[in-house]
Amino acid sequence: MKGVIFNLLEEVVTRQMGTDAWGELVDAAGVSGVYTSLGSYDDAEVLALVETAAVSLNQSPGDILRWFGRSALPLLAERYPVFFEDHKNARTFILSVNDIIHPEVRKLYSGAGCPHFHFEDAADGRLLVGYRSARQMCQLAHGFVEGASGHFGQEVEVEHLQCMLKGDPMCRLALAWNA
Amino acid sequence: MTQFSPSLEPEARLARLARQLDRERQARAQAEAIAEKGLRDLYENQQWLALLQRVTDGANRSTRLTDAMRMALEEICAKTGWAFGNALLVSEEGTLAVGADIWFAEGEGSLLPFVEATRTIAVGPGEGMAGDVLSRGQASWHLDLANEAGCERCTLAVQSGFTAGFAIPVLIRSELVAILEFFSRTPIRVDEQMQSTLHQIGVQLGYVAERERNRAALLHEARHDALTGLGNRKHLAELAAGALTRHWQTGSRLALLAIDLDGFKAINDSLGHHAGDTVLVATARRLERCIGQVLRPLQDRGSSLPLVARVGGDEFVVLVEDAPSADFLNHFAENLHEVLAQPINVDGGQAELAAAIGIAVCIRDRPTIDQLLRDADLAMYEAKSRGRSQTVIFSSELGEATRQRRILEAELKEAIHKCQFVLHYQPIVALDDGHHVVGYEALVRWQHPSKGLLHPGEFIEIAEECGLITFLGGWILEEACRAAARLAELYPRKPLRFISVNVAAPQFLASNFADRVRKTLMRTGVTPEQIRLEITESVAIADPDRTAAVLQQVREWGVQTSLDDFGTGYSSLSYLKQLPFDTLKIDRSFVNDLQSDKSQSIVQAIMDLARSIDLKVVAEGIETAGQGDTLAKLGCGYAQGYWFGRPSPENEAFAS
Repeated sequence: MKGVIFNLLEEVVTRQMGTDAWGELVDAAGVSGVYTSLGSYDDAEVLALVETAAVSLNQSPGDILRWFGRSALPLLAERYPVFFEDHKNARTFILSVNDIIHPEVRKLYSGAGCPHFHFEDAADGRLLVGYRSARQMCQLAHGFVEGASGHFGQEVEVEHLQCMLKGDPMCRLALAWNA
Repeated sequence: MTQFSPSLEPEARLARLARQLDRERQARAQAEAIAEKGLRDLYENQQWLALLQRVTDGANRSTRLTDAMRMALEEICAKTGWAFGNALLVSEEGTLAVGADIWFAEGEGSLLPFVEATRTIAVGPGEGMAGDVLSRGQASWHLDLANEAGCERCTLAVQSGFTAGFAIPVLIRSELVAILEFFSRTPIRVDEQMQSTLHQIGVQLGYVAERERNRAALLHEARHDALTGLGNRKHLAELAAGALTRHWQTGSRLALLAIDLDGFKAINDSLGHHAGDTVLVATARRLERCIGQVLRPLQDRGSSLPLVARVGGDEFVVLVEDAPSADFLNHFAENLHEVLAQPINVDGGQAELAAAIGIAVCIRDRPTIDQLLRDADLAMYEAKSRGRSQTVIFSSELGEATRQRRILEAELKEAIHKCQFVLHYQPIVALDDGHHVVGYEALVRWQHPSKGLLHPGEFIEIAEECGLITFLGGWILEEACRAAARLAELYPRKPLRFISVNVAAPQFLASNFADRVRKTLMRTGVTPEQIRLEITESVAIADPDRTAAVLQQVREWGVQTSLDDFGTGYSSLSYLKQLPFDTLKIDRSFVNDLQSDKSQSIVQAIMDLARSIDLKVVAEGIETAGQGDTLAKLGCGYAQGYWFGRPSPENEAFAS
């Protein structure tokens, strides 16, 4: 996992839960806590942080990931405005992830393993997002989708049609915007 | 050093540490941002450098600009994601850029209308982005196509989903040779690295163009005549090889015209090489014009262009594919004669030439190009021998005659080497009552190993043409001298019988002729008065002053001189007075015709003239007693002919 995710998580936790929350979380999760956006860190560390938060907040890890994604997106928009400039809605922004955002990520981290999203228009007008990830972070993706929609002033309904956590071969989200 | 804030309370201290931490965090974020930008720039640089490297490698491997541009378009589009790249070639004058049909399109289907409108587009200066490059020689950026005014293709580009485009020049130094243009569906962010890379790509492609141009120039030089700009023999051979293959495949008529300028050497010699060059260049232009005006319109549309090549000093060849008929070719040749016979203005005056044209037509068989060229040459030489401005189409008869001649030539060389010649002697008699023999004319015979005894008419001309005549003439003179010496032993009573020896033109015209005669006299020990050299009228009058000098020289040693074939040339009688001859021979044609009053008058006039300048006269070809009597009556002193004796071998001839 890229260090920037840890940095975002720290920022989200600090902003929403206070200055001390992040230090407590790091201590409780037993992770190193030394994260720079330039580095890459073991996935287990982010999962440990999420698990710990879930337990202490009495929520599911999925809820935590979704909350994190939703909250992190505005921070991403602050940090990397260039990715958002050319879009007027969440749909085109999300469609640009594979072609624009991931190549940019690879510019920073050669050999970065970015998830590849498979996009498809469903007959009912919804956007289908297929996604295979060893980290099975479909809830984080869900959170990012909600955050992106919020960024463009839209509301979105996300349905998990399939989920690797449930033993499906891939995760598949169906997205529907109200406008 | 004292403590900065020694009495700080724990709480205040904590707050300060928290601020400190926050600053540290911000500093780290800034450091990360700086590092990220550095990494991103580095990555971008590497990508552009890698692109430049790939294009440079590809360009270095390319010999053709078009190949290199195709490769560059693909590489650039692959790296940048620009959906369409197109190459245009700039005309030699630099006033037009034309789509080279070299393009790269991502997702061709939807782009088809745009590709179609672009791949062979012709653009003038200032028209659109390629036109902008054409007029300024610099890259032209159009980052917001939707708001471009007055650009037809921009509208189509926008309709095809493009938002931005630009064009870059391909330069050989400062000369614009091609233009690459790109269109993108996504916005193009121009930065220094990208501009510099694209500029470098243009430079690399320019190198390919320069190499290709140099190579083409070298090839052109190797295949063309520098003076006239026409193709040379090599070029002709290459094109003819292609034409021959097509001829074999389709059975089309293929013709080669060999054209030789009569009189060119004289111009070169008399007016100088510069005049010669002027003539050649003018001839080349005339040939091209004639081909364009006469030949081309008569050919089928779609036929290959006729080629004119300069294959030798003043030799040209025209290659015609799809030549319809012999009439057509003759018509064309007539036009060529007409055009080439017109005077050419040169420094020293006017050059008047005539052409000899030989044509070889290849209809059904499978000749090689060398055979065709040989046939055309042969026909050309035949045309040359027939006079000025003649055309001969090669035929198998002509080929056979030539083949026979070649064989004879080879045999003749061998004959001289092996001395297969012998002299026969025909008596010359005094036209008095006894008709006693005064001398003989030596006549050469070739004892051909398979054909038997050959007379001069069958080989002298060939010997003259292939330069063997001086050897043969030398041998004849020497042998005649030896025979004369034997004759003197046989008939020692004076006056000694003489032997007339025919001297061939090249032999007489050789600068050392008199010297050779003298050496032969010395070597054989003959009495010079016994030798009578016969020079034909045409040779004698070619250069009368020289003839007089040479004859005077040999006469000083006692050798006699005779003017042969008198009356057949065009010499005026006044010339005759100046030339030191002892004898003149009336041509047999007058003798044959002696019964006519006209011939008798001519013979009478010759007799009167001869008497007035003290010349002995020999009449040739007397076949009847009546002819002898008539000539005697007309005052002719001597005669030879079948009536008095046929030419026969020495022992037989000298026996009586």
